[in-house]
Amino acid sequence: MSALAEILFGGLFQGSLYAMMAVGLALVWTTIGVFNFSHGVFMMLGAYIAWQLVELGLPAAVAFPVAVVVMAGVGWILQASVVRPLIGRPNIVLVVVITTLAAGSLIENGALTIWGPRSKQIPALIAGNTTIGGVGVSLHQIAIIVITPLILAALWMFLNRTRLGLALRAVAQNEDASHLVGLNVTALYGLAFAIAASLAGLAGIFMGGYRFMSPVMGSDPLLKALIVVVFGGISSISGPIFAAYLIGFFEAACSYYFGLYWTPALLFGVLILTLMVRPEGIFASRSRGLA
Amino acid sequence: MNPILSVEGVTAGYGRVTVLHDISLEAGRFGNVGLFGPNGHGKTTLLRAISGLLQPKSGRIRFDGQDIVGHSARAIVGAGLIHVPQGNRLFPDLSIADCMALGAYSPRARPHEAENREKVIKLFPKLAERWRQRVRTLSGGERQMVSIGTALMSHPRLLILDEPTLGLAPKIKDELCASVMDISRGGVPLIVVEQDIEFLLELTQQLYLVNHGAVATEIKPGESLDHGEIMSMYFGH
Repeated sequence: MSALAEILFGGLFQGSLYAMMAVGLALVWTTIGVFNFSHGVFMMLGAYIAWQLVELGLPAAVAFPVAVVVMAGVGWILQASVVRPLIGRPNIVLVVVITTLAAGSLIENGALTIWGPRSKQIPALIAGNTTIGGVGVSLHQIAIIVITPLILAALWMFLNRTRLGLALRAVAQNEDASHLVGLNVTALYGLAFAIAASLAGLAGIFMGGYRFMSPVMGSDPLLKALIVVVFGGISSISGPIFAAYLIGFFEAACSYYFGLYWTPALLFGVLILTLMVRPEGIFASRSRGLA
Repeated sequence: MNPILSVEGVTAGYGRVTVLHDISLEAGRFGNVGLFGPNGHGKTTLLRAISGLLQPKSGRIRFDGQDIVGHSARAIVGAGLIHVPQGNRLFPDLSIADCMALGAYSPRARPHEAENREKVIKLFPKLAERWRQRVRTLSGGERQMVSIGTALMSHPRLLILDEPTLGLAPKIKDELCASVMDISRGGVPLIVVEQDIEFLLELTQQLYLVNHGAVATEIKPGESLDHGEIMSMYFGH
C-alpha cells in the first residue's frame, strides 16, 4: 500500500513540474517552430527573482506573482533579441538552438555572478507536513499537485475559449494565412514566449520551495521536459501534459524499484524506444498545431 | 472612377531572384479584374506584394489612393484589402467556426461579424452543416469555401482570389464560380487569378496577361477576345 502511495504521490508531483515545463516548450515549438534551449534557465531565473523579492522583504504572496510577471517580460525580451531577428532563415531550427543555448548560458553565468554559488531556498507555498496512505509528504508538494492542473486548465481555456488564444492556435498552424487575416504575428510570437517563460518561472518557484536552488537548477528539468515532449509528441499542448504525468509515474516507479541511480538510464531507454517506434510521439498527430 | 488599387512599376522577388520586373496595372476602374498567364511568371508574387507578405524592391502600390508599400499585412487587411491565397492551405486543425471568427479579427471587421456570418452561410450553406468540423476533414471544394468565407468575414473592400478553382472537380468548380459571381454582384470588387479563361471572361471586365513578371497585354472592356487569340498569347505565335 505504501509503495503504491509513494509512487502515485511521487509521480503526481514530478509530473506536475514536468508538465509546467513541457507545456512551455510545446507552446513555443507549435507557434514559432523553434526549440527553446533557454527554457531551463527561465525556471532558474524565476526562482531567483522570487528569492530576491522575498529577501527584499516582500511577502511570498506578492513576490511570487511579481516574479512570474517579470518572467513573462524576460521571455518576451529573449524572443525579441535572439529569436525574432532570425525568423525566415532557412536553417532557423538549428540557429535558434544555438542562440537560445548561448543566451541561456549567459543568463546562467549572470545569475552566478549576481547571486553567487551558495544554495538558496524560497519559502514553501504552505509550510508543514502531513501523512497520506502511510507516506510523509509536505503540504508544499500537495499544493503543487493541486495548483498545476488548475493552471494547465486555465491555459487550455485561454487557448480554446478566447479570441487571443484562437489567434495563437492559428499562428501555430499557418503563418501566411495568419498574416492574411490581420493577426499581429510578431506579437503572438512574443506572447508564446512570455507564457512559456512565466510557466517555467512558476515551476522554478515551486522547485525552490522544497529543494535548494543553484544557477544550474534548470538543466535537469529541461532535460526531463525534453524527454516528455519527445515521448508525448510536441504537436499539441495536451500531448505533453499527459506525457509529463506518465513520465512522472514512470520515474517514481523506477526510483522506487531500481533506485535513483538507474532512473535516468531507464528514462533515456523510454526516449530511445519512442524515437524508434513512434518518432512523432505517442499522443501526436503529424501536423503542428495547438489544441 | 478612380482605380481602387494601382500597381506602379513594382519590382519584387525572393532573395537575389527577381520575379516581377517593373509591373504596372490598375484595378477597380472598370469593375472586376482578371489576371492570367503561364505558371511561374509572377502572378502569385504580385499578389503577395500587394497584400504585404512580400516587400517590393521598388515601385508603388496604392490602395484607395494611399501608398501601402512598407505597410504590414495586418495594416493592409485592416484597410480592407483581403487576399485569399492559392491552394486553400488554411488552418487545418481549426473548425469552420474558428476560421470565421479569425476572419473577423481586425477591428474594422469585428462590428460586422454577425452580418457577414449570415452572408457567408447564405452563400455557402454547406459550411453551416459542418460548422464545428475541422478544416482538414473537409473536401477541397469545401476548404475553398472556407477560404473565401474567411475573407468575406474580413469585410473586404477589395477581394483578391488566387486560383480559386485550382484542382476542383468540374461540378464543384461550377458551383464555386457561381458563388464568386454572387460575391461580385454583392458589390465587392474582385481581382481574380484564374487559368480558366472562360470564367474570367464571364466574371471580369478587364484582363491582364502576366508574362515574364510584367504585363504582356491588357484587355480593356469592349475589346473581346476569342479563345484562339488567348491561346496564341499563352504559347506565342
